[in-house]
Amino acid sequence: MKKNLFVLFAVLALTTAAFAGTQAVNTNTVSPTLQISATIQKAVQLTLSTGTTAPLHCVVAAGANPPDYTMNFGNVDALGINTGNCNRFTPATPGTSNAFYWTDYTLNPVYTSQATTAASTITAYVSTNFALANLSVVRSNPANSSAIPAGVGSFAAMSTVVGAQDTIANAADMTTAGSPGTLTRFIGVSIAPTNGAGLTGTTTATVTFTMTIN
Amino acid sequence: MMRAVHSEWSQRQPRSVDEECGKAFAPSPFSSAALVILVLAVLITPKAALAQGAFNLLASPGGITGVLTGTDYINTFGNMNALGIGAPQTGLKVTAVANGAIYFSQYQVQFTGLPAGHTARLTAYVSANFNHPLALVPENCPSTAACNTSGGYSPTSTSAAGPSIVVASMGNATVTVGIGLFLPDNDGAGAFAGVDTAAVISYSMTDLTTNRVVATATWTYNGTPNNTVQVAVRLTLGTATGGLTVTPAADYSMAFGNVNGLGIGPGAGLTTVASAGGIIYSTPYLLNPVFTDFSSTTATIKAYVSTNFAHPAVLKAEDAAAGAGPYTAISTNVAAPTQIATTAGDRTSITRYLGLFVANTNGATSFTGTDNATLTFTMTVP
Repeated sequence: MKKNLFVLFAVLALTTAAFAGTQAVNTNTVSPTLQISATIQKAVQLTLSTGTTAPLHCVVAAGANPPDYTMNFGNVDALGINTGNCNRFTPATPGTSNAFYWTDYTLNPVYTSQATTAASTITAYVSTNFALANLSVVRSNPANSSAIPAGVGSFAAMSTVVGAQDTIANAADMTTAGSPGTLTRFIGVSIAPTNGAGLTGTTTATVTFTMTIN
Repeated sequence: MMRAVHSEWSQRQPRSVDEECGKAFAPSPFSSAALVILVLAVLITPKAALAQGAFNLLASPGGITGVLTGTDYINTFGNMNALGIGAPQTGLKVTAVANGAIYFSQYQVQFTGLPAGHTARLTAYVSANFNHPLALVPENCPSTAACNTSGGYSPTSTSAAGPSIVVASMGNATVTVGIGLFLPDNDGAGAFAGVDTAAVISYSMTDLTTNRVVATATWTYNGTPNNTVQVAVRLTLGTATGGLTVTPAADYSMAFGNVNGLGIGPGAGLTTVASAGGIIYSTPYLLNPVFTDFSSTTATIKAYVSTNFAHPAVLKAEDAAAGAGPYTAISTNVAAPTQIATTAGDRTSITRYLGLFVANTNGATSFTGTDNATLTFTMTVP
């Protein structure tokens, strides 16, 4: 019996006392725990940047949010006399057909935590058109072409209808580009050789791009 | 084991000087020579035979108890530590302070037998100190202070010539005072852990009318269980300035909130750091190491992911010494944890950065929703 009691006392004397996980006595170590939690959300990002494939490039600059970006074609005219800030196609028949000022640009799609991506697209339309009637926004034709335009025939007018936007990148383009990816596209302005009042001066239009990941 | 001081101390109060002298005169088998010396001693101090008065040290309700043997009040403060961790021995209170912990208890002083109109003073001093006086400091709370809080206590004098006042002046009455032990938070050369019962507190009651000592007693720490200083460790986590809130909850939690693989819109307290394959959400946090009575003055801190995210390919816990990185994944192996600090100092906070890597994957292996993981930090004082 005495022996049993002695063993009991010995055990009590050696017991380490711990209090919660942050502190303890009669020992040289302590191990608190930290639980970290997070909720992951899907994310999408589409940025524009200055192109790199055309002979000359109009700079894609950060805007004042809004707009997100700006691009300035400089001085343009319907006869193609001005060089503009980047590239131009002079009219086939001066005074009859339009002149085109154009540039390449880069779309940079990025998306994460998307379970499906095979049907993704980027569309665009002119959400705010130029105030001058003789100026319009054009894009490659077809809209998702990445080939350097060869002439005025390489362009078509960009949609101005939100419900019928141009597909700048289709599902195949998006799959090829991946995430993060880069897509080269072409945009320009077409100036008609019309005459009359209020057809000169500085004017702006806004193009809205929409990336959808499906 | 311990018996109530109230009954023990009340029944066996220390004898007054009168009583001690009377005892000296009681019949005894002393030799004639010795008897002569004692008689001479009484003759040359005739006033001693007139001294009256005695004191009792009594337990306060809920306070420390002990055993009175002769004129020695035998007590113990049991197991203590300089961080004030855990419940103190029955009858004691403990208060952690910035540089240690104070264990203390109220008790009562009762004066009896003083002649009518007389008042007396009770003083105390450390007549024999602990063997490790840097680790254990006797403290006194006089009757004029609030002895139910640690603020009323101060070190007991170690000088017989200038003792601490316990009761400044009182007639035949009872008053509450306090006794305590301060354990400084020492590491290194001044540190001590173990049993130390060496200290003796000597009390002296002086009749202020006659200016004569009328009774004495001692307080020792020889009770059961042993008066023992234990080592103690504590590691807490805290919120760093500008960082995520670290919430105390079994033991701590930290919510990164909504995150995404692009680092868009980090929440308050978070910054994003570029990382291949995703993004890192980073936050500073504090590690607060505290340890006491170790010979070592530094500690190591390691961490590992004890419970990983359910989607470890998408979320990873990472560690860095600076906000900008570089970040490294925190080990998921308990046997090979990630080193966080190698020379952590006592009561010296460490700012560290916890990164949450979020992968930018898509498709079948992608994940949206809530996930969590648990990190286990281990501080070891060598």
